Amino acid sequence: MKFIRVNMSKGTIRTGDVPQDYLGLGGRGLTSILINTEVPPKCDPLGPDNKLIFAPGLLSGTPLGNTSRVSVGAKSPLTGTIKESNTGGTISAALGRLGIAAVVVEGQAPEGELSFLRIDDKGNASLVPAQEYKGMRTYKLMKEILEAYGERNSVLCIGPAGEFGLTTASIQSSDADGLPCRAAGRGGLGAVMAAKGLKALIVDQRGTGGRRVADPAAFREANKAYIKIVREHPEPGHLMPTLGTAALVAPVNSMGAFPCFNARKGVMDGWEKISGETMAEMIKERGGNPTHRGCAQCFIHCSNVFVDTEGKYVTSSLEYETIWATGGMTGIADLDTIARIDYLCNDIGIDTMSTGVAIAVAMDAGYKEFGDREAAIEMVEEIGKGTEFGKILGSGPAAVGRHFNHDRVPVVKGQGVAGFDPRAMLGNGVTFATSPMGADQTAGNVVSPCLGGFLDPLQAEGAVEVSRNLQIFMAACDSTGLCFMATMALQEPEPQAVFRKAMNAILGTELGPDDWPRAMGIRVLKAEREFNRRAGFTNEDDRLPRFYYEEPLPPHNTVFVISDEELDSTFDF
Amino acid sequence: MKVRVKLFGTLRQGFSGYQHPQGMEVEIPDRATVQDLLALLGISESQRPVVIVEGRILKADDRMRSGVPVNVMQVIGGG
Repeated sequence: MKFIRVNMSKGTIRTGDVPQDYLGLGGRGLTSILINTEVPPKCDPLGPDNKLIFAPGLLSGTPLGNTSRVSVGAKSPLTGTIKESNTGGTISAALGRLGIAAVVVEGQAPEGELSFLRIDDKGNASLVPAQEYKGMRTYKLMKEILEAYGERNSVLCIGPAGEFGLTTASIQSSDADGLPCRAAGRGGLGAVMAAKGLKALIVDQRGTGGRRVADPAAFREANKAYIKIVREHPEPGHLMPTLGTAALVAPVNSMGAFPCFNARKGVMDGWEKISGETMAEMIKERGGNPTHRGCAQCFIHCSNVFVDTEGKYVTSSLEYETIWATGGMTGIADLDTIARIDYLCNDIGIDTMSTGVAIAVAMDAGYKEFGDREAAIEMVEEIGKGTEFGKILGSGPAAVGRHFNHDRVPVVKGQGVAGFDPRAMLGNGVTFATSPMGADQTAGNVVSPCLGGFLDPLQAEGAVEVSRNLQIFMAACDSTGLCFMATMALQEPEPQAVFRKAMNAILGTELGPDDWPRAMGIRVLKAEREFNRRAGFTNEDDRLPRFYYEEPLPPHNTVFVISDEELDSTFDF
Repeated sequence: MKVRVKLFGTLRQGFSGYQHPQGMEVEIPDRATVQDLLALLGISESQRPVVIVEGRILKADDRMRSGVPVNVMQVIGGG
């Protein structure tokens, strides 16, 4: 496996073997351990000392399905913490097939210089001047890149939000159709990419020389069993291809845990208008595609193609968190408006979740009425244009709160929360408060154990333990390239053993249940926590905003009741 | 007693005449539990059903109550 280091200050590229310290690591494990080893914790996230790492999962590009997540890591300009944001699409498999374990972008290009980093089908990397693409939005950019370099390329790129240095700027990833609809959205990594002087990473999909399966016979057997487990599981096998992650709108509202109107209520009036069931019907009736393959080597197909009333493309991969943030939090129960905002965010290169929450905070502060569709779209346009107010919105919900002197700001470590209210789903309050990434929806989401009856969403008992175990599990999964949907079928020891057999057969390892997920997950979390501690974070940063402790959330009228001491025990391992 | 049941996720696929958002009225014995309701509807455990009533996730042996709307959904992990 190869390691590519790109020095943007000097314009040089070094390709070599994977350093000893990083052997056996992939995805989040690699980005986080590298950052903790090489990045000065107190550095300016948008300065030359920060590093931006693109690392395919350990299994990306191998024949094992649903392992096409690429991790993007850096010190975050939004949270000031270590950050890993992973995304689907096709680039992870392309990097894996080329045998590239990581692309590490260091230094900083001279002011005003913009480049593409191109990796051809032989794995040769080069910097290409990209001055003429300055400020270009991602749909046009990706189209032009694929026209210039050929359709069999995968792209990670930034839009104007990144170039404005906005701290919620995303990195957009090309999906299976070559559209920039998937995102490493969280933590403002698009601004880090822009600060390096990098507009796009372009990787040829036709590479060879990647990881060879160490034991093909054992792999064939394990792979067959793995596919069966995922296909027959009701969630990735049936629910995801039918409704996608939008299937969450119904249960989370029914539980009273859907934060809406800037987290003033836990059930949205008219939520059925924006449910996954309604969206799938609407897409079908209009001639779109509710069961779309967004990522390389995917056999789940959780994505969708949302079209307007005339059947014309609006956006793809419209997901729960976007529906919640841009619809629920803003009080807009209208899928057409939500889909339009999703498209705009992807095109501008800004995180949909942070943007939705930022708009909601502005509305809550009285800037506009909740439910004002035109105002919401106009606010997103302002981000794209880089107006003064647009830059405040694009700097995230906390910046909006400061602007309006408004203290109801649902963020942890500066990052907007996700679509599960900590007052009605206490376990997710633990995850949001303690995740080294800031509030995050994939770091250890307890919604499944709550719905499954293993954890009472309204009781403190068990919440810390379930969050801890899920945070360990997810850190391990995020290191393999596994997508969230597939992980849902791997919660129990038996399916985990099958997955581990496939992993061992590929890697030629003998990992046991103590090694994966547990030891790997803990190793990653420890590295992340250590970086944050050295960056100046303490237990006091592992807290929710005051209003979650004081303001009851209807309909249950409960508050967040987990003590600081209990929160501080989350990483007792 | 009668309860009005709304189905979510992929559960509607098993009921050809099902109309949403009205849902369907189901006649169940007076002391019926969640388990009884699911058995009557023919929804198996392998579909990972969840019954939610008035914001509360019910357990298998919880008793159903007359006249309270029932949402039958599925376990989902997020995204």
